Formats: sequence, C-alpha cells, structure tokens
Amino acid sequence: MGLPVYATPGQRIWHYSYLAFCALVLFFLVSPLIVVIPLSFNASPFLHFTQDMLALDPKGYSTLWYKSLFGMCDAEEASLWTSCTDKWKVGTINSFIIAIAATGLATTLGTLAALGLSREHVPFRRTIMAVMISPLIVPFVITASGMFFFFAKVNLVSTMSGIVLAHTILGLPFVVITVTSTLVGFDNNLMKAAANLGGTPFYNFFKIQMPLIAPGVISGALFAFITSFDEVVIVLFVGGPDQYTLPRQMWSGLREEISPTILAAATILVLLSIVLLTTLELLRRRNERLRGISPA
Amino acid sequence: MHNYLRNAFLCAAVVVGTLGTAQAEVNMVTWGGAYAVSQQKAYGDTWKGDKINWINYNGGLGEIRTQVESGAVTWDVVDVLPDQARTGCDEGLFEPLDRGMFVPAPDGTPMDQDTMRALPNDCVVPNIFWSYLAFYEEGTFKGEQPSTIADFFDVKKFPGKRGIHTWPNALIEMALLADGVPVDQIYEVMSTEKGIDRAFAKLDQIKEHAVFWSSGSKPIELVKSGETSMSLAYNGRVGAAILSQGEKLVPIWDGQVLEEQWFTLMKGAPNAEAAKKFLVHISAPQQQAGQAKWINYGPMRKSAMEIIKANEPWHNTGVNVMPHMPNRDDVLATSIFSNAAWWADYGGELKERYTAWMSQ
Amino acid sequence: MAGLVFTDQSRLPPSPFLNNVSTMPTASANPAGPILTVDGTPLKTSLERSLKLSKLRAVGLVFPPLVFLIFLFVIPIGSLLTRSVDDSLSNKVLPRTLAAFERWDKTSEPDEAMFEALYLDMKAAEKLDLSKLGTRMNYEKSGWRSLVKITTRGLKRIEGPPYKPAMLKLNKRWGDIAFWQSLGAMKDPVTFGYYLNAVDLKYDGNKNVMRVNKHRRIYQLLWWRTLLVSTIVTIGCLILAYPVAHLLATLPLRISNLLMICVLMPFWTSLLVRIVAWMIMLQQNGVINDSLVSLGLLHDDNRLEMMYNFTGTVIVMIQILLPFMILPIYSVMKTIPPSYMKAAQNLGATPALAFLKVYLPQTIPGVGAGCILVFIVAIGYYITPELVGGKDGRLIGNLIAHHMQHSLNWGLAAAMGATLLAAILILYWVYDKLIGVDNMKMG
Repeated sequence: MGLPVYATPGQRIWHYSYLAFCALVLFFLVSPLIVVIPLSFNASPFLHFTQDMLALDPKGYSTLWYKSLFGMCDAEEASLWTSCTDKWKVGTINSFIIAIAATGLATTLGTLAALGLSREHVPFRRTIMAVMISPLIVPFVITASGMFFFFAKVNLVSTMSGIVLAHTILGLPFVVITVTSTLVGFDNNLMKAAANLGGTPFYNFFKIQMPLIAPGVISGALFAFITSFDEVVIVLFVGGPDQYTLPRQMWSGLREEISPTILAAATILVLLSIVLLTTLELLRRRNERLRGISPA
Repeated sequence: MHNYLRNAFLCAAVVVGTLGTAQAEVNMVTWGGAYAVSQQKAYGDTWKGDKINWINYNGGLGEIRTQVESGAVTWDVVDVLPDQARTGCDEGLFEPLDRGMFVPAPDGTPMDQDTMRALPNDCVVPNIFWSYLAFYEEGTFKGEQPSTIADFFDVKKFPGKRGIHTWPNALIEMALLADGVPVDQIYEVMSTEKGIDRAFAKLDQIKEHAVFWSSGSKPIELVKSGETSMSLAYNGRVGAAILSQGEKLVPIWDGQVLEEQWFTLMKGAPNAEAAKKFLVHISAPQQQAGQAKWINYGPMRKSAMEIIKANEPWHNTGVNVMPHMPNRDDVLATSIFSNAAWWADYGGELKERYTAWMSQ
Repeated sequence: MAGLVFTDQSRLPPSPFLNNVSTMPTASANPAGPILTVDGTPLKTSLERSLKLSKLRAVGLVFPPLVFLIFLFVIPIGSLLTRSVDDSLSNKVLPRTLAAFERWDKTSEPDEAMFEALYLDMKAAEKLDLSKLGTRMNYEKSGWRSLVKITTRGLKRIEGPPYKPAMLKLNKRWGDIAFWQSLGAMKDPVTFGYYLNAVDLKYDGNKNVMRVNKHRRIYQLLWWRTLLVSTIVTIGCLILAYPVAHLLATLPLRISNLLMICVLMPFWTSLLVRIVAWMIMLQQNGVINDSLVSLGLLHDDNRLEMMYNFTGTVIVMIQILLPFMILPIYSVMKTIPPSYMKAAQNLGATPALAFLKVYLPQTIPGVGAGCILVFIVAIGYYITPELVGGKDGRLIGNLIAHHMQHSLNWGLAAAMGATLLAAILILYWVYDKLIGVDNMKMG
C-alpha cells in the first residue's frame, strides 16, 4: 500500500489524509471501549479521570467496583453503595442459563434447517430461507410485543422458558446463515461416497459431515449465544422480576445512574468479546485449512 | 470458567430449591433502590412472623393483571402508585380489606381516620407520600435566594439552567402555581383547555434553559456539577444527598407536588393470611414512622408523624428528619396533592402534548 | 443425477449388485425400450421416486425448525398485527348503546332511550371489561376513563327508570354531547383508527378523518425523525466505512487482519457496554468535554451538548452500526483485482477518473447491501435512542415500547409496529432482490 516513488505532492497529501481518515475511523470505533477499562479501576465514584489517575498515582486506582460487582463488599461498604448487591451475580447466572439453553436449541434447529435447505430439490427454498432469517430483520421491539401477547395467552410470560424460546428464535437465523455458508463449501460427494461404503446416514452425518461443518455450527452457536447474552428488549417485555439478566441489570443501571460498578461489568464484557472474537478467528482459520483454502 | 459454571448451576439449583419451599413466606413486591432498603430495615427487620421475600418490579398493572387473569398469582403485597391503586381495585385485581383489622393510632383513632388523605377504596393500605420539588446548591446565587416555585420559573432573577423531567406530571401544576393560580384551584384550571395553554406558556419561559432528566439520580448530578443552577427532583433523592452524603443542597418546599403511594394485597394471594398480618404490621404507626429513619418519605398516618416529632433526632444519621418530611404541617399550605383521577383522564393526552413541546 | 441413485442405496435392501455401477447392463442392452434399473423398474420412475424421497428428506429436516418459527414468531407477530385493527371491545360491552347511537341524530341531546341502553349495557358488563373500555374510550376523548369509572361505581345506586336524570346526577358530564359523539369513532369492530392515530389523524363522530389537535401532533414528527436519523446514520456509516473497507481490502493480510479486530471488537461487544462507553465519552462531564476544557479549547460554561439529544443518538448509532457497513463493502472490495485500477491508469485515466469509472461501480453491490442493512436496523432501533435520546433523540421504536409498556394503548402500538414492519419488509424484499438473503455472511 506504499506510494510509488513518482507520486506527486498532491497524491502524497491525498494518500496521507486517506490514511489519517481511516485511522480516525478505527479510533472512533475502538476508543470508547478502551476508555472504559481504566475508568473501571477508578478509586473515586466519578465517571471521569481524576487528577490522581492522570498522575498515575496508585491511590487513584482500586478494584473497589469489581468487589461491588461480585457482591463482595462488607457490611459497612454495602451501606455506602446501593449498587453492592448480589443482583449482578444472579443476573450473570441467569444470563448464562438462558443463553446456554437458547444456544443449544437454536443450534440444533438451525443446523437441521441449514442441512435441509442446502439439499437439492427443496420446495419453496427461497421463501423458507426468508422466513428463517426474518427474526434478524424484524425490529426487536416488534418481536417482543408480538411474543408478549402470545406468551400471555400460553402462560409463558415471566418464565425462564419463555425467554429461552424467544432467544432461540433470535439466534436461529445466525446458525442457519453460518451453517448454510459452510455447507456451500461442503463436497456432497463425500456423503455419497460414505453412503456407498455402507455407512448409515446417522453415522455418516456425525463422522463425516459434522466435523467439516463444525466451524460453521460453532460460529453460529457463538452468534446465538452472544445474541441471547446481550439481549434486553425481550427480557424487558416478556420477563418477570425473577428473570433478572445481566443486560437487564445494566439497563436499569444505565437508566438510573451510571455507577463505576457498571464500568467494571462493561470491562469484563469487553474482555469476553475479545475471547469470543479470538475463538471465531481460530475457527475460521481451521475451517479454511480443512477445506484446503489457504488464506489469500 | 468451568468452575464458575458449575457454581452457577449449583446456585441455580439452590434458588430453585428455595422457591419450591416458599410456601409460608410473604412475597413483598416493591420498587428497589434506597426505597426498598428503607422498607427492609423498617418493616422487614422489625417483623417477627414468616419470612419476607423482597421482590422488585417496575410498576404498572401489566404483570398484576397477567397473574390474576391466568390464576397463577405468586405475589402477595404490592407497593403501588395512586392510579394503579384505584384502577386495580376497580378491576378486582386487589383484595378489599377489613379496615377494622388495622392498628389504631395511640390515641385510639381508627386507621382510616388517621391518614392524611382519605382512603380512595377498601383495597389500599397506607404507605407514604413523596414529592416532586425544586432545589439548588448553597452558594449558587448571590444575594437573594430562591424560595418559591415562581423563582424556579424566573430565569431573569435567578439565572442558570433548569433541570426538569421528561413527563408532564407535577410540572403542569407547578407552572400554574408559579403563574399565580391558588393551590385549591389548580385542577379546576387544569381541566380547561385555556388552563393547559397557560401552563405551557409558563413552561415556555424556561424552555430555552431546560435540561431534561428521566432518571431520579440525574438532578443531583446536574445541580452539583453546575450544569443547571436549579432542578426539580424527587424529594427522597435530595434528602438522601443532604442527610446521608452531607451535600449542601437547599430544597424549595413551596409548590412541591405530593404523590401518594399505597400498599395492596393481590387478589388470590398465595399467602394471604400471613400477608394480611404483615400489612397490619407495616401500616402500624410505629413502622410507618420507622421508615422515615432511613429515607425522608412522609408516612401517611398522622400518628406516625407525631411519633417522629416526639423522638427527634429520628434519622439514622442522628439528625432531625422532620425538616425534610414532604408532608409536615408548615409546608402543606403551599403544596399540591397530585390528583390521580385527573391524571388518569388527561395524562395520555398531556404526555403527547408535552413530548411535542419538548422536542420542538 | 447419478448421485441421487447412490445416496438412495443406503435405504434400499442390501444387494450384492447394488454397489457396483457396472451392473446396470439394461441401459445399454435395450437402447430402444424404456431404460430400466437393476430391479426392473423404469429409470424414469426410479429417478422420480428418488427425487421425491430426497425432497421428503429435505422437508423432514426443515420441518421442525420451520414449525417452531411459525408458532413462536410468525403467528405471534401476525396476531399482534390483528390488534392494530381490532376494536371489538366496545361492540361486546355496549351493543345496545351503539345501536341507539345509530338512531341518534348526533347533534341533539341524547334521549332517555340512549341512557337506558347505556345503563343496561353497563349493568350487564364485567367490571374488568368496563375498566378496559374506559381506557379505550379515553383515547377518543380524555375524560371517559373517570366518567366510566364513576358511573360503574354508582350504577347500584340507580333504582330504575327514568335513567337519564339518574345518570346525569351521577356525573353531569353525561349531558356533554361531545362524549356521546365520540362513540362514533369506535362503533365498528374493525377500525383503521389506530393507523390514523399513528400519523396524527383521527375519526370524528361521523367517521370522517380529521387531524388531531395541533398540540398533540407528535407521531408525524417522530416518523420523519426516524427516517432522518436512519438516513443520516446510513450516509454517515457509508462515508466512514468506504475508505476503511478499501484500506482493509488492499493492505497485506497480516496488517489488515490486525485492523479488522478494531472493526470486529465493537461488533462483538455488548450493545449496552458500547452505550455506557459513549455516555462516558460524550456527557457534559465526559472524557471529550473534560479534555477540551483542560486543553483550553472550550470554556467551562460552554461544554458541548452531545448526549441525551439528537446528536448523541446519531453519533452512538453510527458507531454501533458501522461494522454492518464496513463488512459487506470489504467483502466485495476483496474480490476486485488491484490490476483493474492499474490498467485503467496505464490507459491514461487519472487516479480519480479510474476510481470513479472502474473501481466505484464494482463496489456498488457491497455499498447497497451495507446501506440497506444499516437502514433496516436503524429504522427499528429502540435501546440506543431510549438511553441516549433524551429530549429530541427518541424514535418511533421508543413510542411503540411506550404504548406497549406504559400507556397500554396496544392498538396504537400494533398499528405503529405494522407500519414500521411494512417499511422494513419492503426494504428486505429489495435487499433479497439485489443481494439475496442467502448470500448474507456474518463476521
């Protein structure tokens, strides 16, 4: 991407301003997330950099808000911070339970759908695909409203299962999309060969197809997981007081007051996203290696 | 991670387990935050009966309706706003209660004659008053200090921005009062198109200087950071900042708008008998007064106010809490009791008009 | 086609011949007659059967997820939409009153017969229905709610005809003709009234469409604002995304992979976390204002208002949706060989001309995909404007949520939702035509 030696001054200026612009955009994307991290170690309850922090004085920093996040403050501290509750802990547990259950369901159903849709001769393929992906397109507010009325009829409002089912719907399209796109690269002759060699369809699927489409299934599952783990609108509409999830706790915190405890939670979630991103990247590489596509 | 997940599942199992045995406990549904903490201390810690499960909700009748209609009622006692207290009782969502069962005042006055406002129906149990009021920080203004709601609307005399909330409740009343309408004629004036126009004309005077807030903690932040010179707020928030955090904030009691808050018993409550006993306990003068030790919301029962007066300093920080009570005698003359029935009729329409006004 | 026969073999009874392709002698032995398979059935029939089987199997795989989706997603949304036109409650509760209303001249004072109908209807109705109806009627005219409530409570005090004076005694508003006239707007069980309300119109007593009182007109404003915000966000994303996508597509892989993390990290981070981050950056005492003030670029009294308003909503939405724009443009640019630009320049085009005539047109599919995707997501946004929108940054999605959760005017919420959904489905259809939904890629 370097400039040729014969570039005119005008071209040089253009080129460098283009690079500067890109740098600014990337900075715009990432900087807010980076700023959260040091602020979550603030020793004072303010949401800006204190003098001590700027001077890199150790007394400006503390892990106070992490203690509060995990509900580990003693009685005296607890009376000072209303944010020191076990709500975060309970919310995190609930979020994990819901997200894991919804991911399991969405992955199973989504993989089935993708396997069916990528076969030849599926009637109404395009329409079915459009329906499968529609939960991504319909605004969450509308989905949540529709589900609220439906769930109220079948007594699923304010239940964990209601939220799991709703989140399954939201995660389904991701699994369908990712698995379908790995199946595009899947050589169907492998399955034919396997069948020819006498394997049962079930055996062949798990022994031959599954390992090859696994990267697609796993990345779809990751999308489904993060969608559920991060979802708040459905929880607000169809969840009851017992379905307190991590995003819901953040949501009510944001509406009330932004305490540094939220920043501590945010920092942990930023780190989680980095872990997920790395996993996905590794999966992608594995997938390419398996399919013999060298990174171009 | 693995260990964490295992712990998570163990915790979940424990939670499910305790829910299964939650037969003889009372499920008390309230609003969370410092308010819920004050209730736990004043009502929960003094209660010798069955275990109380404190549950938070976000208000509204939606969930209550769903529970009653589906027949799967899990809540017992609910802390509700005046509108929900009325509508819920009319719709049969709350249980009418025998007023005779409540603890009378020390002088023998029955409970329903000991409340500062008449009980609107048989479902409600007295709880507290809270209010919307204006406040500023000491030292913001040189010379004359603001002391009335009219001063709040007067940006010439008291320069600086004003923090106001993003919904019309209380603001309309305050604007009219600031414009010279006597306290007892506010709702009469508000019931006419002209009256509402008049209120908005008054609001127009601070429009340019308004900073809007929607969460209860924001006003304190606005005033302390100097972003606004005055703001409206919930009285409990201002009180907590003064009493517990030692902030030098000055509330303007003139023109405050008082809102009622009631307790109710769910129709078909699973632990109705225990819940009734608990309702008797929390509405007794001693407990009503006890609540004010932790937060400066005003007990509804007159006799509870007397207990506080006689035992000052009452607040847990060792200071007098009476000067921070929104329903004390000396401020009532210039306070407005919010009219829940009026807001039930005109709230929707006014909210639209206010939203339009705000974003013009 | 042959492949189909093979896959089907696993289901056929085991035969020593089946695995051997060369054991299909009939095909070459009988060129004139119908081609037969080993078991003697004509090949055509066999192929048809196998095709049917294959179809069946595909359908069998698709069936469970599809049924799941239809039951838990398509039907609920469908039934939500029926709420937008449903106005059956008033017919159910007030049949006699509405019949009497039809006979009334709409201008004179209601007579005893109308009051009697009303009394009988209210007497027969369930308490809960009356309360709901009061709320419904209040949308047409403020005041109905308390009027119905007061009357419901007072009904037992009415001891029989004549009903008119008794009702008037309960509440004098029954003499106000405007209340009676407003019944006209809700007399039909199917109504488009909510759709009218969603754009600041309403029915009058004679079902003529008219505008609502000028003070209450907010819905048109919000629709326009939603379109405006979505458009600004889409254009903003495009301007920011195009150069970055180009850079990522042309840099050596090692560096571009590293930079890609900057794009993907926000994409994978919780939405709420990103909103918190922006609140800290943009608020009055936030990082940006603090830095500008301490650098002396800004006076302490003139801190920029960048949060809890229109500006805040736009900035935060651009950052949140930017990856949705970068990724599709990037994946298209990746396929454009750099030699094209070089060739164009060798043929005498200036870099600018080469870009306009050669490069830009090839990136249009990616740009289109990104723009439609961003626009679709932006137009239905709820969480971000709710948290950072403040006084003038809230969108139509927020109003839907408000009517769903707070005012409980579900008909209006459904009507607004249906309108929004229609707009999105049209865009989705365009997207499907241009790019195809099954070409959607993630991450």
